[in-house]
Amino acid sequence: MEKIVHFEVNGVTVSGRAEAGWCLLRVLRVELKLKGAKEGCGVGECGACTVIVDGAAVNSCLYPAFEVEGKRVTTIEGLASSDGSLHPIQQAFVDKGAVQCGYCTPGMVLSAKALLDRVPDPTEDQIRTALAGNICRCTGYAQILEAVRSVSGEAKP
Amino acid sequence: MQLDYHRPRTIEEALALLGEVEGAMPVAGATDVWVNLRAKKIAPTALVSLREVAELAGLRREGTTLVIGAATPHGVVEDCQEIAAEFPALHRACSSVGSRQVRNVGTVGGNLCNAAPSADSAVPLLLYDAECVLRSRTGTRRLPVADFFKAPGRSALAAGELLTEIRMELPGPRTWSGYWKHTRRKAMELPLLGVGALVALAEDGETVAKARIALGVAAPVPIRAGDAEAALVGQRLTRETVEAAAKIAADGAQVRDSWRGKAWYRREMIRVLIPRVLGEAGAFGNES
Repeated sequence: MEKIVHFEVNGVTVSGRAEAGWCLLRVLRVELKLKGAKEGCGVGECGACTVIVDGAAVNSCLYPAFEVEGKRVTTIEGLASSDGSLHPIQQAFVDKGAVQCGYCTPGMVLSAKALLDRVPDPTEDQIRTALAGNICRCTGYAQILEAVRSVSGEAKP
Repeated sequence: MQLDYHRPRTIEEALALLGEVEGAMPVAGATDVWVNLRAKKIAPTALVSLREVAELAGLRREGTTLVIGAATPHGVVEDCQEIAAEFPALHRACSSVGSRQVRNVGTVGGNLCNAAPSADSAVPLLLYDAECVLRSRTGTRRLPVADFFKAPGRSALAAGELLTEIRMELPGPRTWSGYWKHTRRKAMELPLLGVGALVALAEDGETVAKARIALGVAAPVPIRAGDAEAALVGQRLTRETVEAAAKIAADGAQVRDSWRGKAWYRREMIRVLIPRVLGEAGAFGNES
């Protein structure tokens, strides 16, 4: 079964080809050429494929493509401004040295954004819980947590 | 993979599809189904998604009964302060499933229908004497959660049936309950053992009127430790009486070796964790 799914990505209405057995990650990367989300495991355990759908962080590798119909999706490509300036969370990751190989970074940033959009001033526990589904093999997480702490408690765009 | 994917909007539509489409299976959050599909552990020819069926999702109260729509994501339970206060064991369990990404889509009903012996939500639902409501095109039936798990990976759902709701009564006064998910790491992990306990004191404020002890990964299905419960009822609620009951529960558990943990360790931790769960729930030191 194949159809065209219509949804919004980073504020723009798009349509993409999808087959019933495809996941959202494939639609984003292959049909829409949005390569920021990564396939780290394909089974929803590493979080490298994390995107935000209707305000909620989800593993796009497990999100059936047909379910995205009519939804609002935010990918990492949607965070920086049109003039190229980074979103505060992205800037914090840069400033705190929270990016090494960068593979986990889009998912980490989006998990953090999904949290901060709901809970602008999270506790340490809330930050850790929000990022618990995102694996990083490089940094040991300390700089990532520091980056998210540094933008907690501030109003964000 | 050759697959059809349907998105009904009502329970009737969903049941009609399940009844009429060859090889169809229901799916909600897909966090288990999709993984099993890709691993070729299951091979449905059609998926009937329940995500657009509004009647199936959400929390509501009917008098003193909590009703959880089967397609309610764990994250909704996690974010519900009332459930945290009134059904703390269930709140803890649902908040511990997978990751936030998984909890945003994976559902309480799906957790039950996947019927893993490790299902986190099952243990608290046993504590709270929860009931499953199953609907087919020919009618509705209710099953206690205890009867919903038949074997590892097999629930009591008949072909063409949908789990629509999980219902439980608000615990009465003088009731304490908790759930401990015993894991090797802090997140994104199945339990190697799940321990739940609930006690309710009689009006004298001393005697145990009701006891529930439920275990996950201590048998092929989530179970209650009936002998241990019986040992507590009528006793004063003290660490000693609870520890004695915990030993009965531990001795009677059908634990096994698995790669997550050895049988002897699971048995030992049942004994240790039952008193700990009740202690953390505030059950001790409440004698009037």
